[in-house]
Amino acid sequence: MSSSAARLLPSAQGFDLTATPPPTRLLVRDVWRSRSLILVLARKDFFVRYRRTSFGLLWAVFLPLLQATILTIVFGKILKSRAPDYGVYVFSGMVPWSFFASTLGQGSTAIVDNTTLSNRIYFPRAVLPLIPVVSNLFSVVITLGILVVMCVGFGVSLGPRVVFLLAGVVLVALLSAAFALVFSALHVYFRDIRFMVSAALTVWLYVTPVIFRVQQLPHFMRGIIRANPMTGVVELFRFATVGASPGWITSLVITAAWIVILSLIALRLHRRFDRLFADRI
Amino acid sequence: MTAPLIELADAGKQYTKFEDAPMLVTAALRFRARTTRSTLWAVRHVNFAVAPGECVGVIGRNGSGKSTLLQMLAGVTAPTEGRVTVRGKVAPLISVGVGFHPELTGRENVYVNAAILGLSRREVDERFDEIVDFADIGPFIDTPVKFYSSGMFVRLGFAVAINVDPSVLLIDEILAVGDMAFQMKCFDKMTEIRNSGATVVVVSHNLNAIRRMCDRTMVLHFGEQRFTGSTSDAVSLFHQMMGETRDLDEDDDDEAGFGRGVAKVESWALVDAQGVEHAYAEPGDELTFVAEVSFAAAMKDPVFAFSITSERGAVVYGEGSYDHRPGTFEAGDRTSVRIHLTQELATGSYKAQIGVVDRELDETVAAGTPIHFYAHGRNMVRGLIDLGGAFAVTDAPKRP
Repeated sequence: MSSSAARLLPSAQGFDLTATPPPTRLLVRDVWRSRSLILVLARKDFFVRYRRTSFGLLWAVFLPLLQATILTIVFGKILKSRAPDYGVYVFSGMVPWSFFASTLGQGSTAIVDNTTLSNRIYFPRAVLPLIPVVSNLFSVVITLGILVVMCVGFGVSLGPRVVFLLAGVVLVALLSAAFALVFSALHVYFRDIRFMVSAALTVWLYVTPVIFRVQQLPHFMRGIIRANPMTGVVELFRFATVGASPGWITSLVITAAWIVILSLIALRLHRRFDRLFADRI
Repeated sequence: MTAPLIELADAGKQYTKFEDAPMLVTAALRFRARTTRSTLWAVRHVNFAVAPGECVGVIGRNGSGKSTLLQMLAGVTAPTEGRVTVRGKVAPLISVGVGFHPELTGRENVYVNAAILGLSRREVDERFDEIVDFADIGPFIDTPVKFYSSGMFVRLGFAVAINVDPSVLLIDEILAVGDMAFQMKCFDKMTEIRNSGATVVVVSHNLNAIRRMCDRTMVLHFGEQRFTGSTSDAVSLFHQMMGETRDLDEDDDDEAGFGRGVAKVESWALVDAQGVEHAYAEPGDELTFVAEVSFAAAMKDPVFAFSITSERGAVVYGEGSYDHRPGTFEAGDRTSVRIHLTQELATGSYKAQIGVVDRELDETVAAGTPIHFYAHGRNMVRGLIDLGGAFAVTDAPKRP
């Protein structure tokens, strides 16, 4: 009685539950089949934010634009930094950083915050932390546009390398998703995660080369910066625009390693606890 | 025979209760075990299969494990032991309008909610008119739902859930929703869903609704599956259990003593004017009790003793049919007893009992399961019986 399209969705195909969690393969399949659900909920998330505001979506453009303008004025006119493109340098780091910080902030608590959904209807709980990843992709489209305009304004010559911005977005989305999946699962059992994440993000910004250059740092700090998975992401954004700093390929490999390891942990956690989260929310 | 849509094989769910919030800091300061925890089986050893087209009820007191059972059937929580199998799409009406966002319009919420319940956009497009039609909210479909009345909100949520063509429809505390017309529409739709081969599971305290809808009913008692079978048997067992747990502190006088087994009260109910069983009486309702009694041995002129007791155990009324001499019943005979009360009760909970008394031995040989019922009397009447006081008050003298 249901069409073939409905049969694809996890809630439409029934289940067979025992105390043994189902194989990881099924979890991955169910998350994949929930992609349209993720998209619907992410779109709702994004657009609801601007509902009933007089300027609506303009806010989504205005806020990052304001940030870019201030960076331009501060670094271009007031500080008169040696490198004229320093504003672009900072903004190109800010784009992935804002994405990462807001996704992690919302994603880490997603399972607990959506009690009404998670307690009543089944779909893989991994869907919930993935929603902010996708909804923030909508806003990153806007900030990327501003970044490109800013590059042109500052006379940064954009080559074909600019397409690597998209690779950068994919990378930061993967990294945020991996972290959000792990934290959201842990948060159900350790509610301290919410505050630990916001504390971590405050410190994290200063061990990520967003407002400074790696070369400006004392040697002992560089190890921390290199181990930081966000360094690779930021460097990829720089590579696509103002140029990356030496050793950025290493950072990229480290970021990839983080993503792989975190994803494996996330899979294990969600496989084990997917249908037990409801007991603790 | 087609495969059952729902199968529970020795399913059980254990919860861990944390008496203490697991706070690392306090625990470290106290230098002792981090948390005191105990475990609790919310439900255990449930065996159950539901065929396509069946409607099954689940009844039990609060805390008997009904909600846990529903959560397992919804697939939200996995059993701790045993197996829960559901074939096909589950639509939980556990809470209608789940995921409705107040700022979104009815239309937008329909799409979001249907997606959560597993419909693709195209499928929602196909059913959209049907959903709006069913919810009967007309032009309000493009208004943010925060401006909806609570009735409209629930109707729309219900309309979505019921129109996703579920194979298994889970209903918790049905249809305290909307007006009579809407409730009738819901019942019709549920019948339609069942006729198309889907299964409905109803959890409710409303025994009349269960009786009206369900072919079979399961009785849960402190997490234990006491009974699964015909709805009328389940309901009477449930009444019996309610009596049992209430009578725990009363001294349990088993009224059927010597001569027990000669007669048996087969059924025993409070009915309305149409003969439909009720567990409550509205103001103005005349109370009628009906009992079916069977005899296993010959009995001459049995006496039927009837009593009503208040919640606190005070006997409100009691009488035996000593004036009636119905003659001698032989083994295998049946008779029915009808007790019609001409006075009304005041608002409160009461217990009605019937017994069969051997006239010669003056001994109760059979007793029916006590009926617990709620009487809704005239407002402002206190006490136990409404003696129908008519007030006449002389007006205050007119002063110039």
